[in-house]
Amino acid sequence: MEKVKKKIGSFSFWNWVTASIIFRLILIYFPKNLNLSSRPEVSTPLTSFRRLAEGYWLKQSFMSPYAGSMYHGSPLLLSLLGPLTINRIEGQPNHLLYSLVSVIADVVSAMLIRATGQNLRLAYLRSLESLDLVKQIEVSEFLFSGDIAALIYLCNPFTIVACVGLSTSPIENMAVILCLYGACSRLIPLAAFGWVIATHLSLYSAILIIPVIFLLGCGPDSPPRKLFLQRHQQKEVLNQSKLPPRFSWGPVIHFAFWAFLWSVYVLVLCGISLKQFGGLWEMFKSTYGFILTVEDLSPNIGVLWYFFAEVFEFFRNFFLIVFHVNILFMILPLAIRLRHRPCYLAFVYVAICSMLKSYPSVGDSALYLGLLGWFVNELADMQFSLFLFCGYVGVSLLSPVMHNLWIWRGTGNANFYFATAMVYACLQIVLVVEGVSAMLNHDRKLRNLITGKPQDAKS
Amino acid sequence: MAETKEKSLSDEKPKPRVRPIVRLGIFLISHSFLVSIVCCTAGVLALFLLPVLAKNTYISENALMPGSASPMLSNQHVSDGNRLVKDLTNPNSKSSETGIESHKIIAQYMLDLGAEVSFHKFHPQMNQFHPLHFFSSPVSGKIQENYSCSSYGINTVGIIRAPRGDGKEAIVLVTPYNALKSGFGEALSLGIAYSVFSLLTQVTWLAKDIIWLVADSQYGEYAAVAAWLREYQTPKFSSLSTPNAEMCPDVNNLFELKGHSISGSKFSNSFRRAGTMAAALVLKVRDQNEQFEDTISIYAEASNGQMPNLDLINVVNYLAVHRQGLRVNVEKLWPLLNSSWLKSLGEIFESLAKVAKSLYPKWKFGIPATEYVEGTATLASSLYYQALGVPTGPHGAFRDYQVDAITLEISPKFSLDKVWRNDILLRGGRLIEGVIRSVNNLLEKFHQSFFLYLLTSPSKFVSVGVYMIAFALLIAPLPMVAASLYVDANSSSNCSKGDSSTPSAITDTDEHGIAIRSWSPTTSFMIWVLLSILSLLTLNSVLASPLACAKATQEKEWALVKSVTISSVFIGLGLMSVINFATAEIGALLMVPMCLLARPLKLDVRAGTLRSFCRLICNLVLGHIAFPPAAFFLLKGMLDGFGNANVGDFWMWVESLWAWNSATYLFIGMVQLPCWVLCVSILFHTC
Repeated sequence: MEKVKKKIGSFSFWNWVTASIIFRLILIYFPKNLNLSSRPEVSTPLTSFRRLAEGYWLKQSFMSPYAGSMYHGSPLLLSLLGPLTINRIEGQPNHLLYSLVSVIADVVSAMLIRATGQNLRLAYLRSLESLDLVKQIEVSEFLFSGDIAALIYLCNPFTIVACVGLSTSPIENMAVILCLYGACSRLIPLAAFGWVIATHLSLYSAILIIPVIFLLGCGPDSPPRKLFLQRHQQKEVLNQSKLPPRFSWGPVIHFAFWAFLWSVYVLVLCGISLKQFGGLWEMFKSTYGFILTVEDLSPNIGVLWYFFAEVFEFFRNFFLIVFHVNILFMILPLAIRLRHRPCYLAFVYVAICSMLKSYPSVGDSALYLGLLGWFVNELADMQFSLFLFCGYVGVSLLSPVMHNLWIWRGTGNANFYFATAMVYACLQIVLVVEGVSAMLNHDRKLRNLITGKPQDAKS
Repeated sequence: MAETKEKSLSDEKPKPRVRPIVRLGIFLISHSFLVSIVCCTAGVLALFLLPVLAKNTYISENALMPGSASPMLSNQHVSDGNRLVKDLTNPNSKSSETGIESHKIIAQYMLDLGAEVSFHKFHPQMNQFHPLHFFSSPVSGKIQENYSCSSYGINTVGIIRAPRGDGKEAIVLVTPYNALKSGFGEALSLGIAYSVFSLLTQVTWLAKDIIWLVADSQYGEYAAVAAWLREYQTPKFSSLSTPNAEMCPDVNNLFELKGHSISGSKFSNSFRRAGTMAAALVLKVRDQNEQFEDTISIYAEASNGQMPNLDLINVVNYLAVHRQGLRVNVEKLWPLLNSSWLKSLGEIFESLAKVAKSLYPKWKFGIPATEYVEGTATLASSLYYQALGVPTGPHGAFRDYQVDAITLEISPKFSLDKVWRNDILLRGGRLIEGVIRSVNNLLEKFHQSFFLYLLTSPSKFVSVGVYMIAFALLIAPLPMVAASLYVDANSSSNCSKGDSSTPSAITDTDEHGIAIRSWSPTTSFMIWVLLSILSLLTLNSVLASPLACAKATQEKEWALVKSVTISSVFIGLGLMSVINFATAEIGALLMVPMCLLARPLKLDVRAGTLRSFCRLICNLVLGHIAFPPAAFFLLKGMLDGFGNANVGDFWMWVESLWAWNSATYLFIGMVQLPCWVLCVSILFHTC
C-alpha cells in the first residue's frame, strides 16, 4: 500500500494537504448527490450525524438525549457539536459548520500524525546510530514517514468519506491521535487528556493505555533492548548513555494521576449535563452498554450484526462475552511481543479493535491505515502489499454495490452484503498478521546485521 | 514482493516453512501462463455449454397454484370488451385533437363497472443521468422547472377495491394506448384488459386491489408508466413548489368538461392509490403478425439487466401453454439461428452426450442440436438485452421500485372476422385472469424463485450459480498473472514502483463524454475521438514521466503497467458482474485475452521467433477488436451485415445508454476504455 504513496515524498507536502482540503470542501458543497451521511459504511449508530442531531433536539426539548435509543454518543459531544446541527448559514449547504469542524479535525489529526512520525523517525535513526548500523542500512534512503503517514491519513478515501459523511469519527480519531502524540512527545497531561476523551467517545480506545504506558516508560519505538546489550558486549564497552533507558515508573504514575484527574473532570461535566435525565448511570447504559450488548443489528461493515441477528437468544450473552474477550485475549501476547515498539503496538490494537468492534465504520480503518504510514521504512518488506491494496479497493467498491443490490434492487439478500463484510475482515486480519510478522522480521534483520550472520538466516 | 522473497530464499537455502495456502498461491503464480490458457479456454467453453446445462423451470412458490381454478371469464365479458373496442375504433371518438375523447370513453366504461377512476396528468420527463445510482440509494427524480402546457399526457387509472383485501396490496395491469394514432392492436389490448376488469369487479375471491393503468403512450410507453409510478411511489406533500399540469388552463377546461359529462362519486381529479404492488403485467397486442399461430412474447429485461422473479414468467408460461394453448416466445437473436458453426457445435455436444450416455446410462445431459442452436440464440439475446441495460418495455419502470413486472405481447394470427376477435379476447383474457388469480394468492412478495438468471427458452433457464462459473473461469487468471508480473518486475528493480500509477490516472479523462448535441452523430463521434486523443496526449506529456528512472528499469516498466492494468480490469469486471452480469461477461470476453496477451510490439519484433510473431498478430487483432466502437461495429456487422453499419451508430448507441442510466455506459467509460488505452500503451511501449 505504501508503495504507491512513496512518490508523494518528492512532491511538496503542503500542496497535497491543500489539495485534500480543497477536495473535501468541494465534496461538502455537493452533499445531495452522494448522500454519504446515510451510508451504513460511514455512519454507525455511534457516529451518525443524524442521531447526534436527534439527541440534541431531544435535549433541547428537555428530554433525555438517550430516550428512544436514538443517540448513543457522549453528552459532551451534544453540548459541543449539537448547536452546529441546527445552525445554518443562508445560501450554504445545511451542515456546513459541522463539516468544517470535521475538516479541521482531520487536518489537526494529520499534523499530529506528522509530528509524531517525525519523532518516531528521529528515535529510529538515533537507535540505529547507537547500534552502529547507519552504514549497513542506507539511512539516506529513509523516507519521511511522518509526512507520508499524514498524507495517507488526509488523502485516504476512507477519511474523506468519513469527513464528508458527517460522522463523528474524525473527532474520535483525533482524540486517539492526540493521546499517541502526547505520549510520544512526553506531554503527559495531553496524553492523559487524549486517552480519557478517546475512551469516553468510544470504549475500545481504552486498551491504548498499554502502548501509552510503554511509550511513557521506555520512550518511542526502538529495536529490542537485547540488541543493544549484544552490541555493547561485542564492543566490550558498556556505554550506559547509548543504551535505551530502562522502564521508569515516574511518568507512568504521572500519567495515571492526570488520567484520573481528567476522567473525574469529564464525568463531572457529563453528570452536570445529564443531571435531570437519569445521570451518569443512564449515560453508561446507553453508550458503553449499547456498545457491549450489540443492540442495534442494522447492517454495517463489521461481522457482528449478522452473527447476532442469527444467533439464538439464549446463546446471545455467551457469544457477546466470547466476542469481546476476543479483543482482550490478544492484548497480552501482543504487548509482550511488541513491547519495544509501543507505537506499532498501538497501531495493531487500533486495527484489531476496528475489526472486532460492534459498530465499525470506515473512519476506524482510516485511522489505522494512517498510523501504518509511520512504519513505511520498517515495513518495506511487507508481504502481500499488492494483494492488500487491490483487496481494499475492491471491497470498498463492492460493498456499496452489494448493499444496493440487497436493499434497493431486491435481487440480492443479506448474505451478499455480509460476504463483503467477511472479505473486509479477512483483509484486515491479513494486514495485521503480515504487518506484525514484517515488523518482527525487521527486528531479526537488525539482529543479524549486528551478529554478522547472513541476512536471511531465519525469516 | 512476498513471493520474490520466497523465491530468493529458495534459491539459496533449504525450503523454509511456508503456509500451504501461500505455497498454493506461489505454485499458481509461477505457472500462470498455463493456468491462464486453461482457465480462459474453460471459461469460453463453459459459456457455450450453458444451453446444455440449462434447467427446466418450475414453479417454486406453492401459493401461486396456477391453473388450479377454472377460468371464469365468459362470453358476456368478452362481448363487453368487444363493445369497448368498437367504441374506440369508431372514427367519431378520434375527433378531438388531444385524444381526450377516447380517455373519456375508457373512464366512462370503468365507472360503469363501479371502479374508482382518476386521471393522471404528466409531463414527459427528460432522463437524467445518475452515475452513482449503483452505489447508493435511488434518488427521487428531480422535478424539472420549465413545464410547458403544450405537451402533457393523460393516464387513465381505474382501481377495483378488493372485497376480501385490506387495501394494502395491489396488482397492476398496464395497457399502453396512444389516443392520437392508435392501431387496432392497442384497442384490442384495451378490450382484453376491459373484459378481465369487468370480470374482476364481480368476483369474490379478490384479495388484492386491481389497478388498471391505461398509459398514454404518445410520449413513449415507458415515460408514461414511469411518470405514473413516480407519482405513485413518491407522494408530493407540497403542491406550492412546482408548477404542474393542473396549472395549465386548457387542461383544466377539459377536465371541467369531463366533470359535467361524467357523473358519479367515484371519479376524482386527485391521484388515487392502492396498496404496494405485488406484480405488474403490461399487455400489448401486436398489429401485424407473420406467424401462423397465436403466439405470446414475453419481455422481461428491466434496466441494467434486472429480471423479474422467475416465478412470474413461469406462471405466464404455464398458463399460456397448458391452459390457453398459446405459443410462448422469448426474444431470440435471429441471425444466430442459421449459423452453421453453432449447429455443428450443437452436434458435437449431442454426440458427446450420446457417448457419455452409452458409458454410463445415468448421465443425461445432452440436448438435440436444433434445440441447442435455439437455446444459444435465446441465451445470446438474453445476454445482449441484459448487457444493454435498457429496459425492453414499460415493465422496466416497475423494477426500479422492486415490483416484478413483465410485458406480454400477444401476436394473433391476423384476420378480421368477429369469431377470431372473440377468440383472442377470450384466450388473452383468460390468461390474464389466471395470472392475476395466481398473484392474488400470494401471501408474500415474490421471493422464492430466482432473480438472477438467463433464459434459454421460455421454460428453461440458467441460474446464477451456473453462469457465474463460466465468468469466474474467464477472469480467474487475471489476479495470478498480475501477481506474477508484479513479482517479476519487483525482483529486478525497485525504482519504477511509483510509475505504475500514473498512466491509470491519465486515462480517466477518457470518460468525459463531451456532450455535443447539435451535430450529427458521426461528427460528434469524430470530435469526441479527436478531443480525447488530444487530452490524453496533453496529459501524458504533463503527468507521465517515463524517464524518471534509469534506463535499466524501463524494461520492466511495461510489466508493471500491465500488472496494474490487469488488476484494475479484474476489479472492474468483478464489480460489474455484480451490477450487471451480462455486461461483465461480454466485457470479459473482449478484454481478458487482450490484457493477458499484451506485450510491447518491439520486443516481439526483436525476438523474431514464430511464437512471438503469432503473439504480435494476436495483439494487433485484439487491440483493434477490444476498442469499444470497433467491437460495436463488428457485432453489428455480423448481425445486420456490414453494409449498413455507420460511424454515427456508435454515438447514438452510447447516447441511448446514457439516457437510460445504463451501467454499461459507466463500464465502457471507466473500465473498458481506460484499460484499452493502457493495453495500447503497453503495445507501443519503447523498451
